[in-house]
Amino acid sequence: MNFLFNNILRNAAVISYRSHNSLKLYITAIQNITYIHTTSKHNNLMDFFDNKKNWNETNIRVGRAWRLDELRIKSNTDLHKLWYVLLKERNMLFTMEHECNRKVRLFPNPERIDKVEESMNNIETVVRERNTAYYTLETGETGERPVEDVVNLFGLPEKYPKNEYIIPKFMNTRWVKSYLEHGYINSLAVKKFYRLYQEKLRSIKRNERNRNFNHVQHLLKRFPDMDLEKLQAEYPEVDLEKAKRTKKARGHFLPKY
Amino acid sequence: MSTRWYPLYQRGNPQLRVFLPNFWMKLVRSSVNQLPNVVQFHCSMEMTKHDIKNYLEKIYNIPVVEVKTRIAMGKFRKDVGKGYIVKDDDIKFAYVTLPKTMKFEFPNIFEKKKGDTEDDMKSLDEAKKSFKGFIQRNKDRSDVPSWFTI
Repeated sequence: MNFLFNNILRNAAVISYRSHNSLKLYITAIQNITYIHTTSKHNNLMDFFDNKKNWNETNIRVGRAWRLDELRIKSNTDLHKLWYVLLKERNMLFTMEHECNRKVRLFPNPERIDKVEESMNNIETVVRERNTAYYTLETGETGERPVEDVVNLFGLPEKYPKNEYIIPKFMNTRWVKSYLEHGYINSLAVKKFYRLYQEKLRSIKRNERNRNFNHVQHLLKRFPDMDLEKLQAEYPEVDLEKAKRTKKARGHFLPKY
Repeated sequence: MSTRWYPLYQRGNPQLRVFLPNFWMKLVRSSVNQLPNVVQFHCSMEMTKHDIKNYLEKIYNIPVVEVKTRIAMGKFRKDVGKGYIVKDDDIKFAYVTLPKTMKFEFPNIFEKKKGDTEDDMKSLDEAKKSFKGFIQRNKDRSDVPSWFTI
């Protein structure tokens, strides 16, 4: 019976070809089974391994991961239960993968790990959504970690997630010194870095512009009957009239334009 | 018992109401001969001995007597092709002692079943038969490549 119970748990984790009330089914299945389920003598360390019938298989078929929309309609209790099902499933897959690697065997369907992890991430997303909704309703703020816009030591803007300080900021002389005395942000080195960085960004932009212009000229050369509106939509920054008149855009035919 | 940060204190005092531990553990074969009631695990680096005990007792329902942990540093090795230095990941080992009455033997997962060789021979025979059929079908046009025919 324990084997059956484990089987149900495992199947419920990732199998998708069930209808929307799959979790409900699974919960009722658990409820039905728990009446006849007795704690077996053999230790549950075997939960770390796959079903015995899957041990020598080369192809283990499973469904897809749980989607966000499917999880959003579940209750918190259901999500909580499902999390532990997935957690055990993931541990099982890690164990089997390790053993396969040790024996130099191919681990069958390694995408199962990704599916379980995707499901777990989705559960976390849903729980987080519910938390933020609750705190926005109660206090007008999301209960998330507050994020501050700061200028970092390189003089660049950065998102700084706040954390708890051991002593207040103004008492922390060591931290303040670097900002106030040295003047990190206004120092010569930072200004030079910032200037060069901006130059780099500008040159990237300019190169892209030139590259696109060149490309459009060659396109006009090779395909003189091209749809110009679509070309303009693809490269909105390029001046088509100018590109048409250039030498590069002329092919070995009488100019049309 | 998870790697997540606890929410900062703000208005409304946000807390983790739903507890979702994200630690992982994997059961591995003991590298040395151990007592039959000692099990070896790899686990998340953040796990403490208490975490491991609680994890096994609460989630897996396994009675735990003692937990010992150690961290093994990953090896530094040269990449085979390029020669640059690669460091393998560090591993946290957990040696879990079960009660004296319990025994755990690591199962042999890749044991050959009885029917396996027979199955192999059967599939080989089938392949032979289908190849013969293919030759038979295309005997009149031996110069046509196999990918062209059905």
